[in-house]
Amino acid sequence: MINSRPTLKSTLRAALYLAPLLIITLMFTVWPLINALLMSSYTKYNYYTNQVRALGWANFAYLWHDPTFHLAVRNTLILVLLVMPITVALSLLIALGLNRSERLAGLLRSIYFLPFVTSTVAIGLVWNWIFRLDGGLLNAILEKFGLHAIDWLNDPRYALLVLSMVCIWQGLGVNIILFLAGLNHLDQRYAQVATLDGATAWQRFTNVTWPLLLPMTVLIVINTSVTNFKVFDQVYALFHGSAGPGNADLTMMYYLYQKSYVENQVTIAAASGLILFLFVGSLTLLTYGIYRRLGRWSR
Amino acid sequence: MKLFRYFLTSLSAILLLGALSACSQPKAATSKRVTITFWHGMTGDHQQALNKMIQDFNQSQSTYKVVGSSEGNFGNVQQKITAAAKSQTLPTMAQTTYTNVPDYVRGNFIVPLNAYVDPAKLNQVVPSLRQSSQYQGKTYAWPFSKSARILFYNRDLLKKNGFRVPRTWGELQRESVQAKAKGLTGLALDQSFTAELNNLAMQAGTPLMTPHPQLTNPRMVAATHVLTDMLKQKTATTAGTDGFGNVKFFKGKTLFYSGSSAALGIMTASTPKGLHWRTAVLPSYRGKSATSIAGNDLVLFKSASQAQRKGAAAFMQFLLTNRETVKWAKATGYLPLTKTALRSRGYRQYLVQNPTAKAAVKSLPIGFQDKTFSGYSTQLNAVNQTVSQLSTLEVTPEKGLAQLQAQLKRTQK
Repeated sequence: MINSRPTLKSTLRAALYLAPLLIITLMFTVWPLINALLMSSYTKYNYYTNQVRALGWANFAYLWHDPTFHLAVRNTLILVLLVMPITVALSLLIALGLNRSERLAGLLRSIYFLPFVTSTVAIGLVWNWIFRLDGGLLNAILEKFGLHAIDWLNDPRYALLVLSMVCIWQGLGVNIILFLAGLNHLDQRYAQVATLDGATAWQRFTNVTWPLLLPMTVLIVINTSVTNFKVFDQVYALFHGSAGPGNADLTMMYYLYQKSYVENQVTIAAASGLILFLFVGSLTLLTYGIYRRLGRWSR
Repeated sequence: MKLFRYFLTSLSAILLLGALSACSQPKAATSKRVTITFWHGMTGDHQQALNKMIQDFNQSQSTYKVVGSSEGNFGNVQQKITAAAKSQTLPTMAQTTYTNVPDYVRGNFIVPLNAYVDPAKLNQVVPSLRQSSQYQGKTYAWPFSKSARILFYNRDLLKKNGFRVPRTWGELQRESVQAKAKGLTGLALDQSFTAELNNLAMQAGTPLMTPHPQLTNPRMVAATHVLTDMLKQKTATTAGTDGFGNVKFFKGKTLFYSGSSAALGIMTASTPKGLHWRTAVLPSYRGKSATSIAGNDLVLFKSASQAQRKGAAAFMQFLLTNRETVKWAKATGYLPLTKTALRSRGYRQYLVQNPTAKAAVKSLPIGFQDKTFSGYSTQLNAVNQTVSQLSTLEVTPEKGLAQLQAQLKRTQK
């Protein structure tokens, strides 16, 4: 049946099965994407009446000259470049550890996965308490060691670091699960052969486990990068509805939110969304390109 | 099969009963009344007070029925209005910030109230609260929930240290320096000090929220320095992620807190035991007194039918009656809206019993509301971002205001 030649009838039947998901995807993903793309080119536009009186590049020119947008791009790139490698490395390390100890693996897996399923607002409140200047857990620990308390949440020098820490912590859970899935699917015979050849644990990791885990690592790198390019709710919850002290935590998504919902500048918001999309798309292609190259090299 | 038949019989019986009971409903009471849908952002005690007023209105006549719907907060109401305007599912009326009116007019979904309300009713409103109602010569916004910026002070701390309630910003600065020497903080501000800067700018004669503000004017720069210098000297603090300055103020080591009179209820409810605070009018600057009035208004949407528009206007006017506006003020801490309500015996008695409410009333003659113009939200957001940078002392007022001026110029192009 599966190998039978497709006919008009069978194609229509297949389309019918696919229709519910296709319709939802077209309505809620593809159409908004096209709409945002079009909207980014509207320079004289009435959002409410949907009247477009002029098209052009003015929204992109605005972003090109807007120092606030530059700050948002800078902060987002720092966040991604800081959070992504640390999250991936930590997740891999923890997953390797969990893979070894079978006794506590189940419990620890659940604990690490908790941040992923917990509401960001709740997470924000808890971290807010941890980082508080007065009565905060972290400062209490610092003071125990005779160090000065730091106003983590209200000092622009530390605010982005705080956000990065929250993002790293929140991203660990799902990445650990993905790495564990990848590790469980590795053919153990390769490692056994390497052991027979006298390879050390480190050599087994670098020459066997790591290359075999590469496809999963690429997936995790892309997933983590995309997630951190879109950071918004953590900022909102941590900094009491602001972009941090002195805009220290203004991310591209936060900028988009402000333009769209606070300033009613939907066309500029759409243009900034398109740039965000280009950043994410480029990074995905770049990661995939590196993966292809590494794959060829390891062969 | 038997079970299925039993199920069908039961279902038919229920449907039949339902249909019959629907037929037996008295038609007269429901079908005659015109429904006025009303979105607002009130919650908790404020929502209860509003629901009571809606109930009063519905009982006061038999033509209209107002159905209020709380959307959680003002931000949600705003987002819902934007979405509903696009999908053409707007209610009859809504509570909104009057500064949104230019956007609504541009979107062609708001209707002026002139044809539906009695202008004499609006003239009863206190002039400083009425400023927000007009746009392009027409009345679009009906004053509703209004508050003034006031100075809260720790009565015991002032008494103990021999300080007095400051009448000028200069006095406040001097007392704050003396307070710092005693291990106290002079002034607590909210997370953003835009409201205070707005006041000082108005007092300096260089209004902040106008289409073409003179941000690099030396008087504007000097006004900004009043606040940033205090932050630099650590005689004032901003609330940061606490959001509001009352958190710091309630720790008992801060002399003053500049906040909204709308917070009077919350302040009273959350005052720690043993702390006594009072309120005063905000200090003057360069010999001029001015206090910004904030809050929300009511607007009427174009999609409403003629009957709904008339009903909404009747409801708005009902809210301005002495009895209702005083009741509203007593229950919420918002200002009573009309001159007669302010003079009424009931409200005067309330002020005697609640002296902390007096400062906001005293601020009314010097009160001002920002001018509404197209691009207000963009400008306010830009100002807020500059204030955020100023509050962390990352930029000097000279640099920050010059950058803001350049940014606004670029936006207006």
